[in-house]
Amino acid sequence: MMTRFNQLPTLKIDPTKKVIFNYKGKTYSGVEGDTIASALYANGVRIYARSLKYHRPRGLYSLDGECSNTMMEVDGIPNVRTENTLLKQGMTVKEQNVKGSAEKDMLGFLDKLDWAMPAGFYYKMMHKPARIWPIAMKQIRKTAGLGEISPDFEMPGKFDEIFPRTDVVVIGGGPAGMTAALAAAEKGLRVIIMESRPWLGGFFDYRTAEYKDGVALYQRGQDLAQQVEANENIRVLKHTAMVGAYSNCLVTGFQTGTDKDAFNERYVEIRANSVIVATGCIERPLIFDNNERPGVMQVGCALRMARNYGILPGENGIFSVGHDLGLEAAIDLFDMGMKIGCVADVREDGQDPELVLALAKRNILLLKGWVATEAHGKKQVNKVSMSSIDGMITRDFDCDVLVASAGLTPVTGPLTMAQIKLRHDDFTGFFVADEMPENTFSAGRILGINNALSIECSGTLAGIKAAKACGACDAAEVEAAEAAMKALPGPVRGSKLVTAPVKGRKSFICFDEDTTIKSVKQTIDSGFDVPELVKRYSSAGLGPGQSGIPGHNLPLYVAKYQALAGVPVKPTTVRAPIVPTFIATYAGTNHTMHKRTPIHNLQVADKGILRKIGVWERVRYFSEDYSCKKEIENVRNNVGMLDGSTLGKFRLHGPDALKALQRIYVSDMSKLKPGRVKYSAMCNDDGCVIDDGVVVMLGENDYYITTSTGRAGQTVEWFRYHTRYDGWDFSMVNITDSMGVINLSGPNARKVFEKITDEDVSNEAFPYSGFKEMLFKDVIPAKVMRLGFVGELSYEFHVASSYMTSLWQLLKEAGAEFGIQNFGVEAQNVLRMEKCHIILGQESEQRTNLLDVGLGFLWDRKKADAKTVGAVALRQAENDPSRFKLVGFKMENNGRAPRDGALVVDSKVRGYIATARDSFSLNEAVGMALVESELAKVGTRLEIYEDECGDERIYGKVVPMPFYDPDGTRMKS
Amino acid sequence: MALTITCPICGKRNGYEFRYGGEDKGPRPEEAGLTPEAWCDYVHMNKCVAGVQKEWWFHKDGCGSWFTIHRDTTTNLEVKGPEADK
Amino acid sequence: MFSKQKPMWGEKTQLKSSYDAVIIGGGLHGLATAYYLAKEHGITDVAIIEKNYIGFGGAGRNTAIVRANQRTQYNVPLYNEALKLWPILTKELDYNLMFNNCGNLNLMHSEAAMKAARMTIATAQFHGVESHLIDAKEAKELVPALNISEDITFPIHGAMFHPPGGIVRHDAVVWGLARGANKYGVEIHQQTEATGIKTQNGKVTAVETSRGTINTKQVLISAGGYSAALIYGMLGIKLPISVLTIQAMVTQPLKPLLNHVVSSGAYHCYANQTLKGEVATGAHMDQWPNYTTQNTAHYIKHQAEALSEFLPCLRGVKFMRIWGGLADMTPDMAPIMDGNDHVEGFYMDCGWGYFGFKSCSAVGKYMAQFMAEKECPEILKPFNYRRYEKHQLMGETAALVNYTPDN
Repeated sequence: MMTRFNQLPTLKIDPTKKVIFNYKGKTYSGVEGDTIASALYANGVRIYARSLKYHRPRGLYSLDGECSNTMMEVDGIPNVRTENTLLKQGMTVKEQNVKGSAEKDMLGFLDKLDWAMPAGFYYKMMHKPARIWPIAMKQIRKTAGLGEISPDFEMPGKFDEIFPRTDVVVIGGGPAGMTAALAAAEKGLRVIIMESRPWLGGFFDYRTAEYKDGVALYQRGQDLAQQVEANENIRVLKHTAMVGAYSNCLVTGFQTGTDKDAFNERYVEIRANSVIVATGCIERPLIFDNNERPGVMQVGCALRMARNYGILPGENGIFSVGHDLGLEAAIDLFDMGMKIGCVADVREDGQDPELVLALAKRNILLLKGWVATEAHGKKQVNKVSMSSIDGMITRDFDCDVLVASAGLTPVTGPLTMAQIKLRHDDFTGFFVADEMPENTFSAGRILGINNALSIECSGTLAGIKAAKACGACDAAEVEAAEAAMKALPGPVRGSKLVTAPVKGRKSFICFDEDTTIKSVKQTIDSGFDVPELVKRYSSAGLGPGQSGIPGHNLPLYVAKYQALAGVPVKPTTVRAPIVPTFIATYAGTNHTMHKRTPIHNLQVADKGILRKIGVWERVRYFSEDYSCKKEIENVRNNVGMLDGSTLGKFRLHGPDALKALQRIYVSDMSKLKPGRVKYSAMCNDDGCVIDDGVVVMLGENDYYITTSTGRAGQTVEWFRYHTRYDGWDFSMVNITDSMGVINLSGPNARKVFEKITDEDVSNEAFPYSGFKEMLFKDVIPAKVMRLGFVGELSYEFHVASSYMTSLWQLLKEAGAEFGIQNFGVEAQNVLRMEKCHIILGQESEQRTNLLDVGLGFLWDRKKADAKTVGAVALRQAENDPSRFKLVGFKMENNGRAPRDGALVVDSKVRGYIATARDSFSLNEAVGMALVESELAKVGTRLEIYEDECGDERIYGKVVPMPFYDPDGTRMKS
Repeated sequence: MALTITCPICGKRNGYEFRYGGEDKGPRPEEAGLTPEAWCDYVHMNKCVAGVQKEWWFHKDGCGSWFTIHRDTTTNLEVKGPEADK
Repeated sequence: MFSKQKPMWGEKTQLKSSYDAVIIGGGLHGLATAYYLAKEHGITDVAIIEKNYIGFGGAGRNTAIVRANQRTQYNVPLYNEALKLWPILTKELDYNLMFNNCGNLNLMHSEAAMKAARMTIATAQFHGVESHLIDAKEAKELVPALNISEDITFPIHGAMFHPPGGIVRHDAVVWGLARGANKYGVEIHQQTEATGIKTQNGKVTAVETSRGTINTKQVLISAGGYSAALIYGMLGIKLPISVLTIQAMVTQPLKPLLNHVVSSGAYHCYANQTLKGEVATGAHMDQWPNYTTQNTAHYIKHQAEALSEFLPCLRGVKFMRIWGGLADMTPDMAPIMDGNDHVEGFYMDCGWGYFGFKSCSAVGKYMAQFMAEKECPEILKPFNYRRYEKHQLMGETAALVNYTPDN
């Protein structure tokens, strides 16, 4: 293990605290604050992975996760970016996508076969002859993919979510972000600042160059960070990567928890009044041959390895850069002990004279207008070829690390994601936004500035603009801040170089997808002439690095290659999540929620078998016999109880309540009488039955309504929608959850009922379709209806949820002597089917209207003035012979019932079975089917085709409905 | 994209609190003499404007009102309607 | 293949002043129709007018699932033919469309859904299309990553397994068809916007574009999500369409995990693994019409919640990229293909919702026949424009029509 600096003021590690971990089966140690990758580097690891396609060796390159080079499997989780994942005690780390090891990969030979795999290679190969494709495909699938996950993998850890609201959200905790946050907070605004690294400071944090008056940049960074952390108006979210930015100031990200947090990762969705984008810059990769060989790394990576992690990345460094930061880093690393053979700068001029002088003082060779053309060394760089940018003069230098960077590139992802148009600016070489949406501002290096004071000032300006947008300060303050900004140095000229003067066969524009300059040329030649298409055909930018590496170079190169055609530089699209994010993190707490009825626990105690039906958890069966024979027979012969609490329940009242009823229900609701229940249906504008239920008149302009369970959530909306132009005065309240329903059914139902009341509930006093408001045991008020969905004598008790347990137990005790039993939803389904009472969605669908399913008797045609929903369509379609009709059928020769969903056929499909069962009550198989109207006549033979039936057919015969108790005597007496 | 809708009662809120209720096509037509084509036009047919349209929204997770707004379908942003300038 | 590459669908050419037929929209349906017009009917003087670049719209944004297990007898044969055309087109176009017929597993989460599946399966089998109802355990054998426990929001009761379906590489279809059509002489004009259709005496006479007027007697609008706005804007014909943004996303690439396409109506979610190893997943639409193709924070979270439940191992996998495309939804979830109705020489092929990809090959074939013979082929007749005013919605979904677009 190499020695590490342990005294630097910029360190993010605690060298005194060891962290033990396992890598490839062996024990290694790092220190607290290490990322996995920095710990591995300190242990001498240089090759972290092999590339996707050519299995080229890959090493540490950027430190901020812009490519897949350092992705590994950690504790069973694939594709972990080890360069920005903190090391923890006991971690198990493995390499991915290698046959053998990253060091010695048996698939490394693929790198030599690149000539056989030009861009679009897969499209042109392996389909001739056709039979080889399935075999090739298997091989492709095995070869593709980076990490591996087991199908029974269980993600460890805790995941959380928060949805804060704030005045201002600042993306980026560098100098500009911090000054912006401070400026906005000073105006009394609530501010959230997000920073992807575990600390604030941005690019001040690891630099020793002077800020002002002898203060170093890192000291200034620490000072600003302290001010921000101490400010009560600012909520600091460190180690929080922004992943999505959306219009209307919505920003998402995820926070990595520390040891003190109750979560491993937390999804953060911030709704703000104003957004400040202060994301700064990353480095634009330098493109030359073998530009991704281990040992080649970016400026920030090399410097931060030394300054933050105490690791000198190499002994002999060579620099090929395009920006003053590169010169500054060379000086600092030299001072820390790195030998530097040469610093090549692609710029012919424009360097900061003080930096040039400092290099000269240290006798470091500075080659202006030079660039690296090739990195040598089979697995690790050991030599680099340099040339003048015209390619005329070349020189080789030995080295063990090559610090390479073409220039800077602004992190514009949040802007592109928020649909802000970007333009290529020739001076800075940046993509810049000319027009920002209201309430969104950018600050810092994203603007092309590089002077420390300018950066801070731009942050202050953005903070004040955000305050102005939130109404917390006036225009004069914005003008003053703008004037201050103008007095400071503006944008800096950017390096123009796109690629080193090489052919590009081994020059990689995208590391993740192994896309070379050569394959991009082939792609453009094939007619894919815009960056988006180049991406699709060559795969550049589609890998796990989210375009971090090719994002800027690809559009530059596409434009350069087509320069003669006058093609402008167009940015490529950036898509969320900007940082790949665990599905577990996005899912957050992910509660599953279902509603339970007021007597849920009683039902469970009675061994009810639950099913999740819509938003409810309901009892479908009361035994493992899913035919529900016992439950059905008990209702038919004795008495049963059903928890019907899920039924939709509403109170409708107000002067125009009747008008609303007339608009929505197909029946004439003006005929409602107190003490009576009216069953009716609602249609949609196609005439299809959208819901059915009962309406009770409670008093003048006051109604109680029930709907089916599934429809309860939309009923108020439906009433209000269809009356939205009318300005009617009515109120409608959904009381579904505050009321429960008990259905008491069976020939002994009245006997049970009589035991809990002194009132007369005889057939004369409380007939079928009757309604009574009653009081039980002097305290339980209930609405009681005499109905008959299951086809027996039946009462429905509607009571406040709080009384449900009492009433249920009261009825149960009263029924004990008769042997009262529960019945569930499936038993009810069979019972009502025997009676041919339809369930919407089961015996109806999009192709069937009110008339088709036999509910035409409900429709009152004489109320055209009401403009009843569905009436027009019913009138227009009523004589159409091509429609489906609902029919009842029995099976021939006492055969078994067909399965629900079986087809009715001849040479074509003519309909299907809606519901059919072997009926215990009737001792034969019966059912309902939707068939073309030609087949609807009683006596018609139905040819039934079931799934998996082969050539077998079963036959039924259309019979009159209902099957059970056709006169309704059982129900009505 | 993060849609927001301004409810006349509850103010500007997250768009997912609302349900879209279609292009504004005016009150229900009189039933007398209505042809199938005219009825279909009212019920099913849309202009599908790529630009600003007047449309209905329902505040389902809020106050429960139906109201109209103007929205640009190419940006998903609410805009001032023509009435606003009167 | 080792020499310098040539533009796949021809060098850029000048727009001519007239063509035998003009197709507005360089997506899959337009390209396929042009290909078959030229190949099957000898009509090669065809211009495809594309505002952006070919495959910009739905063609390049869908997750490329193909199947033929639709609900009704009108749809099954059409999609079945489309399914059978993939290997044929691979050969004809000499371009690897990468058809991976891994089969589709459509999960069912209730007794009612199982019944609905049975009807769909019986319909498929009746038409000779392989499809089976399997139980939860069998589903788990096919996709070991499935969670078939009871403790999720929508426990898995079983699945509809449709072996002949799978995934096709959508971009390859775009490029292969473009190259194929161009070989027969079809001109593809990208970065060219159609701005109007001229008619005289009820007949099409010309198409106006950003690069000049083209005289033609036949024009097809097959512009995916943009069709309805174009048809109304150019000819004043309204359509029963709502244009919604539908989103999809991929995870980081993984070694083989899912060997079949898995989908769930209850969770509004499908997932399949591409040949590159990414798990592609999506399905949700925001229910308000828009042309933005913007993705939402709401949805990527929803998708993560859904996958966490029924494919829980994916919790350890990272989402990498989300995108959106347009889906032009009709009330009955079936497309509208018609022609020579409102205006002679005008054809429309729209309302595909999210079924545009899986149908494109067969539809191109029959729309070409329609345009060449000027008679609607029998197989396309049920998809006519007038079915809505006749109250004959197709029933491709059982769900009733609400007043808002649904999926």
